Amino acid sequence: MLQKLEEVKKEFDSEIDSVASMPDMAQFKADYIGKKGRLSALMGGMRDLSVEDKKTFGARANEVKQEMIAAVEKRSQAIELEAINAKLEKNRQDISWTDRITDKGQQAAGLHPLTKVTRELEDLFLSMGFDILDGPHIEDEYHNFEALNIPESHPARDMQDTFWFKDKKHLLRTHTSNLQIRGMETHKPPFKFVGPGKVFRCETLDASHEAAFHQLEGMMVGRDISVPHMIHFLRTLLSEIFKSELKVRLRPGFFPFVEPGFELDYECLLCGGKGCSVCKQVGWVEALGCGMVHPNVLRGGGIDPNEFNGFAFGLGIDRLTMMRYRIDDVRHLHSGNLQFSEQFRTY
Amino acid sequence: MKISLDWIKDFVELPELSPQEMGVRFTLSTCEVEGVEETNAHMEQVSVVEITKIEAHPEADKLRLVSFETGSGERRVVCGAPNVAPGMKVPFAPIGTTLPGGFTLEPKKIRGVMSEGMLCAEDELGLSDDHAGLMELPADAPVGKSLAEYLELKRDVLLDIDNKSITHRPDLWGHYGMAREFSAAFGKPLAKPFDEAWIEKMRGLYNDETPPVSVTVDEGTACLGFCGLSVDGVSIKSSPVWMQQRLTACGMRPINNIVDISNYVMLELGMPNHIFDRDTVRGGRIIVRDMGKDGTFTTLDEMERKMIAADTMVCDAEGPSSIGGIMGGLTSSVKDETNRVFIEVANWKPERIRHTSTRLGLRTDASQRYEKSLDSHQIERTVLRILELLLESCPEAKVVGSLVSDKVQLKPPLIIDLTLERVNSILGTTLEQSEVIRILESLEYKIDAQGDVMKVTVPSYRATKDVEVDADLIEDVGRIYGFDKLIPLAPHNEITVTSLSPAKIMERRIQDFMVLRGRALEIYSYPLTGARLLEQADWSVMNEGLVLANALSPETDRMRPSLVPSLLEKASLNQKFHSKYRLFELGRSYLENEKNFSEDRHQLGIIYFDKNESPFMDVLNLMGDLLESLSLKAQIQPPNPKFANPVVASDWTGRHPHEFLDVRVMGKICGFIGTIHPLMCSKFKIKGNLVMAVLDMTDFMDRPVKDKTKYKPLPKFPGATFDCTVVAETNTPAADVLGVLKKVKLKELEDVRIVDVYPLSESQKTVTLRSWLLDRDKTLAPDFLKEAENKIVAALDKAGYPLKQG
Repeated sequence: MLQKLEEVKKEFDSEIDSVASMPDMAQFKADYIGKKGRLSALMGGMRDLSVEDKKTFGARANEVKQEMIAAVEKRSQAIELEAINAKLEKNRQDISWTDRITDKGQQAAGLHPLTKVTRELEDLFLSMGFDILDGPHIEDEYHNFEALNIPESHPARDMQDTFWFKDKKHLLRTHTSNLQIRGMETHKPPFKFVGPGKVFRCETLDASHEAAFHQLEGMMVGRDISVPHMIHFLRTLLSEIFKSELKVRLRPGFFPFVEPGFELDYECLLCGGKGCSVCKQVGWVEALGCGMVHPNVLRGGGIDPNEFNGFAFGLGIDRLTMMRYRIDDVRHLHSGNLQFSEQFRTY
Repeated sequence: MKISLDWIKDFVELPELSPQEMGVRFTLSTCEVEGVEETNAHMEQVSVVEITKIEAHPEADKLRLVSFETGSGERRVVCGAPNVAPGMKVPFAPIGTTLPGGFTLEPKKIRGVMSEGMLCAEDELGLSDDHAGLMELPADAPVGKSLAEYLELKRDVLLDIDNKSITHRPDLWGHYGMAREFSAAFGKPLAKPFDEAWIEKMRGLYNDETPPVSVTVDEGTACLGFCGLSVDGVSIKSSPVWMQQRLTACGMRPINNIVDISNYVMLELGMPNHIFDRDTVRGGRIIVRDMGKDGTFTTLDEMERKMIAADTMVCDAEGPSSIGGIMGGLTSSVKDETNRVFIEVANWKPERIRHTSTRLGLRTDASQRYEKSLDSHQIERTVLRILELLLESCPEAKVVGSLVSDKVQLKPPLIIDLTLERVNSILGTTLEQSEVIRILESLEYKIDAQGDVMKVTVPSYRATKDVEVDADLIEDVGRIYGFDKLIPLAPHNEITVTSLSPAKIMERRIQDFMVLRGRALEIYSYPLTGARLLEQADWSVMNEGLVLANALSPETDRMRPSLVPSLLEKASLNQKFHSKYRLFELGRSYLENEKNFSEDRHQLGIIYFDKNESPFMDVLNLMGDLLESLSLKAQIQPPNPKFANPVVASDWTGRHPHEFLDVRVMGKICGFIGTIHPLMCSKFKIKGNLVMAVLDMTDFMDRPVKDKTKYKPLPKFPGATFDCTVVAETNTPAADVLGVLKKVKLKELEDVRIVDVYPLSESQKTVTLRSWLLDRDKTLAPDFLKEAENKIVAALDKAGYPLKQG
């Protein structure tokens, strides 16, 4: 009997892997371990055995039954998986066919490069405690010139080729320095703010000259502010912009609204000051104009120059952006051409 | 402006520095040196030679082999010049010479024959533009002598100064003023050849004769004082070589001794002047007066200029002879036979000169200087320096009478109080008072130290405009001390909280939304526009009040009144590259405003273009999401003729008859979403579906974006849904059908939506609606549900949307 049991088990083992579907499996299961199955039949014959043999056979038969149940369960799961996978195989999609390789028109989306650089600058100043201001593009003479210590006859007005409106009183702001005046109207010292924005100059357009471009103005007013404070601050700023510890130098520069006034240069990053085509062989690159706020400007803004002083600076955002991305022609910035914008995509 | 260091050395000794180093030092202390140029260095290597023999070149018809004596042996070169002849004296540049073109001569075989240098034409030596043949030197030119020595050509270094960097420094528009800066910057003493003692000595030449020319300056003219001196017995000839060289180096063409002296003194002392042929001064009178009425005047460049009544002219008894402070006339200049002259030196009001010269488009060496505010103290000094040079050139000449002048007013000296504490506090230095005084004195300030306060007398030539307050003095101290010596220092900072302004936050949210949700590319288009584009876009607001007086072109002659025309233009441009695209701009448009002249409007413009399918619904859904994301109370609705849309005119031909909606924010219409009418598209050569949205944010962008979330606990009891399909006319908007459900009065009705819309026939369609029913306090009873469903169906039926049968 025991031998017979082992034979049935052997047959079971050899057949189970060839069961291929769930209905077949149900049949197979009934054949072996069903109420009328072969195992039950054998167990029915136990009556004729001695007590001793009954014990041995019973234990073994139970063991075989458990093994069979487990094997059927395992095989059933496998059959189910195969069936699902077969279905998946049938419904297979081409996952290489992404939007990126499909001609569906424009796929890219993203910010304008000037927006990216301006935001970076704004965030940098914000982290240093500066307010961010905005102001009108169409200005009056007072905010663009007079209040900045540039009276009507001042030759500095010639330095900036101004777009005038026909009333000869209003103009397109030639610099973001109007924000110094507008900022003083809304802030009490001590204060510090920057203001990025569009400015306009009546210049003939070419690859490096635009009539509409962008500047960032900054002003910090407090007590006992010195030129070394300004140098420290601007060096920190430029080092952060260029992600590199920079060397800077000041040289005299003339802007009527600051005194002393400076041009700030930084040591050329490309050649380390030895001279190359980027720095026009001088080893230094002009970065921005800056200086200590002229007492007349402070006074005009209702601030007592004997109590407070400070510094102001202005930098060109377009040039910074062009340097960052190596943009060859400033006119692309306002072109509205998506072939240009696409290159600065977020995705 | 070019500065000759050779000239500077007349007044100050310069340190031994390379020309480049000199440029850098001057840039750091005074003004921007844009370039450095060495002149005449090659002339020391080029020498006089005599041609001895000419042979044919064995391999080239046009070239010859020319032998010559150099004084230290015979040499031979290959030469192609047409005018070579034996016995001729010519300049020879040996191997190693660097000629003005920057090209260095190297040993070289020309067609197989070795050439040992070059015989030169005038242009190759930088002496003129002449390239007709070799420069022929006089027969008595000594063989072997360098050309530098023979022609008395001095080696020089020229600094090219950026004029913009000295607009505030009238004193730097002449070599003497520049020399003062070199003296201060390098700590070398400045020679003072034109001091008060010299003036006194020169005045000794004035005499008692009656001046043959009188001077009157009318009240109210542009003139700030006019001086003149008559000199007889001059003769016209060439200036000495050294003077010609300096003038040439500074970009002036030598003419004759009189004109050259006039220019030379301007370049030296910075004061423009004019030397008249006195015989042309009709009536022996000079009157400075305004034109009085509009008219014309011919300047010495033979151009007829249109003058207006307010222009100040220098006139004689008969009429104008020059435009005051700008340019002389044709007749008054000296001629070859001139014998008697009148030296004019005057000062002019900068703003008047600037006005007239700008209007005439005539910027001259004189007007450029007068614009900077010149110092009247320099008038007589300039007259006397001219006289000194005239007498050097024409020793036989003599002064007739003394200086004649009118309206010359000398301002009292400007004295500024300065404290050491202030200097050190601004510069962050620890300078001693003696050091500050030394620096200021090197710039010819006079200091009277009274305890802590230094009373600083500003030299008259700095006091015309540049130096006004102590900050100006501190700048001078700083730059001469050396700004590069200042040690950067962190400012002590007060702790402040800063954040972006609400407007900036809103702008950034919109930009991010448009990129991440709108899948769009940001563009910047031009804020300036022209009538042509506005007309093409059929835009009714032409912004005539915002037209520029000096536009660069008619295409950019005014401020744009709206983003719409710009966007149409960009849409047209980009459809060439893409069959489908999405772009946006956060830009400004500008409107006339009676009270404030103008107002900047902040607008968001969106364009979706698709060649095949209409992207209208995409833009509509996008705008809805955008407004919600900005927490703005907004509606998007069909236009109502009772309310005008301020962003786009109601009769704008770009409007689509159906696909056009107003955007209303906080009760005010401030934008639109619309498909651009095909006819407008065709005007811009756009072939496809163009949908545009513009949102004017000006009125609400300063409001903080608030988080208005109101949390409700999740329902504890299950809800139920109920679907029903009703029949509606084909043209009935699905939203109208849904609208009926929204009005059903049933507090358990949580939400209603459209599941599907399906055409039934030509004239009818079915709309399947889903209702969500929920009671937050209990499970919905079956009886209640039946009742609710009946209520919903009844409402639809009553509104004309019966249940679909079967």
